[in-house]
Amino acid sequence: MGGKRKNSESEGMEGDNDGKNSNKKMKKEKTEILPSSIKNKEKRSAVHAKLKHQKKLDKRKKLKARAAAEKRALELGEEPPPKQIPRTIENTREADATVCMPDDEELFAGNDADEFSSILKHDRTPKILITTCRFNSTRGPAFISELLSVIPNAHYYKRGTYDLKKIVEYANNKEFTSIIVVHTNRREPDGLLIIGLPDGPTAHFKLSSLVLRKDIKNHGNPTSHKPELVLNNFTTRLGHRIGRLIQSLFPQDPNFQGRRVVTFHNQRDFIFFRHHRYIFETKESKQSDSKGKKAKDAKDESIAKEKVVAHLQECGPRFTLKLVNLQHGTFDTKGGEYEWVHKPEMDTSRRRFFL
Amino acid sequence: MPRTTTVECPVYPPFRALTFDALGLIKVIEARGGVPKVVDRWGEPDASKCVLAASIDDRKTDPLLAVARKNGVIEVLNPLNGELLVTVSDFGNSSARPEDDAIVGLHLFRRQRLELTSRLCTLLTCTTKGNASVKTVDISDSPEDSGASKTWNVCASGNIACSQVDGSENYALFGGKGVEVNMWDLDKCTNIWSAKPPPPNSLGIFTPTWFTSATFLSKDDHRKVVAGTNSHEVRLYDVSAQRRPVISFDFRETPIKAVTEDLDGHTIYIGNGSGDLASVDIHTGKLLGCFLGKCSGSI
Repeated sequence: MGGKRKNSESEGMEGDNDGKNSNKKMKKEKTEILPSSIKNKEKRSAVHAKLKHQKKLDKRKKLKARAAAEKRALELGEEPPPKQIPRTIENTREADATVCMPDDEELFAGNDADEFSSILKHDRTPKILITTCRFNSTRGPAFISELLSVIPNAHYYKRGTYDLKKIVEYANNKEFTSIIVVHTNRREPDGLLIIGLPDGPTAHFKLSSLVLRKDIKNHGNPTSHKPELVLNNFTTRLGHRIGRLIQSLFPQDPNFQGRRVVTFHNQRDFIFFRHHRYIFETKESKQSDSKGKKAKDAKDESIAKEKVVAHLQECGPRFTLKLVNLQHGTFDTKGGEYEWVHKPEMDTSRRRFFL
Repeated sequence: MPRTTTVECPVYPPFRALTFDALGLIKVIEARGGVPKVVDRWGEPDASKCVLAASIDDRKTDPLLAVARKNGVIEVLNPLNGELLVTVSDFGNSSARPEDDAIVGLHLFRRQRLELTSRLCTLLTCTTKGNASVKTVDISDSPEDSGASKTWNVCASGNIACSQVDGSENYALFGGKGVEVNMWDLDKCTNIWSAKPPPPNSLGIFTPTWFTSATFLSKDDHRKVVAGTNSHEVRLYDVSAQRRPVISFDFRETPIKAVTEDLDGHTIYIGNGSGDLASVDIHTGKLLGCFLGKCSGSI
């Protein structure tokens, strides 16, 4: 067969090569054979498996060596060798010129002048209108009832056949501060549209990975205290604006005694929503035998080593959002100006994020 | 893995640009063969001083920059160092409050060579309700306004959204929501031409008029006008030919927010509400190309 002939040929050639190498003492490097250059699938997969195994062994050896070096250094009382930091995509994120700096007075002036400042300065209390798109959905109503429990002062109205622009008008008349529209596709909530009122921006998010409360193991039931809001990692100007938009949905005076927290965590342009009840507990940590054998020292160390830990119990839905576009003004896809719209030509590298 | 495109940083010809923002700041951006950088910033961030329109008289000696702000004030500055020369408040009618009747268009007329010493400058402004006025302002000693002005109303109903003055500075055109493009002779303050909407199509549907941007096609010819509408259409009008548009074509799906002509007289650049910038050959109406880049907001 052709394959076999090639195999024997390559083997023959390898044999020749090895022979040549052993003869030629000048050439010390062995020519490395890439698995991808071997045409025979069995041989190729065998070489590849061998390479992988070799790499795994090397990695294990390096890890052991590092751990041994660190242990030795600690025992000798020296400084352990510095811990290596793994390279992650967040570490190597492309530098963005629009990242908010803490001393940016234009940012603060802009914040004072934007659409959310009246809510964030406690002038208006947030009042949210939640509605859906026109189609029925299986998980939609459950999701909306959970949203109603998460966001205080939220009201649900059935969609009917109203135009969204008309809904904006009605909401303005009734003094709502935001509208949330849950959009459904194939009977599954798929998108979220947050419209600030009276003439606030419209943010369109893609919703995914929705897990309802009943599907979470050991879930807790949320109380009706005003929640604490945690917004993580909204660094750029756009992210800051979105963060303020989310902030304007919740009341600005959280009830810390209620121990309820809502988190919007931004990572790689995905916003993860979590809702927890938390409780702080102080517990004494175990002491190691080598230290503090005397009773006095033990007592001091036990006081010093008390740690406060937080236990979290998840309640409420869990979902992820991704910003599709942000439009200036209320909902008007055809006639409105977009502040930010995602275009495929903006993805110039894997390390570029916008929020 | 998302499809990635690489954008190399090209070598730019040296340029200097002035940008105006909603906080009333004026920033100077310069590029001298490298990456453009903000070199200067004039003004304090103040939302009531939001800049609505600006116009420059870019002469080699003594250039002037006029800026119209949200609080109804028009400032004349020196574009080289940002020094404020004159503040004109209460331009035109004092009856309308500046918040109701915001300034939409502003044009600073070129001064003739002879007037080098006289330090007078003429401004044309237009507000959303259609009050256009021409005023001469003295910038010699006192930073206060003084001088004659004539005001006239450009549209009976509707809002003006765009205005432009042609290269010879005798004609001005205005257009807006519910207002067809019309051209006025500035000396006589008369309406010499106004456009007619294209006939409704076979289904009887017609889109209401809403012009969002307009410009004259070339500096010396006041007869050809290009206008962009809210329904993503770009139309070329010829004043000497007919009142209906000569060529009209569609561009993507969001309103055309900016139209400018190229110096060669037959290329225009259009920018729309979702950040797409394109250049079009106006003689044939063909799209020459779109510009790719990192722009993500409306132009």
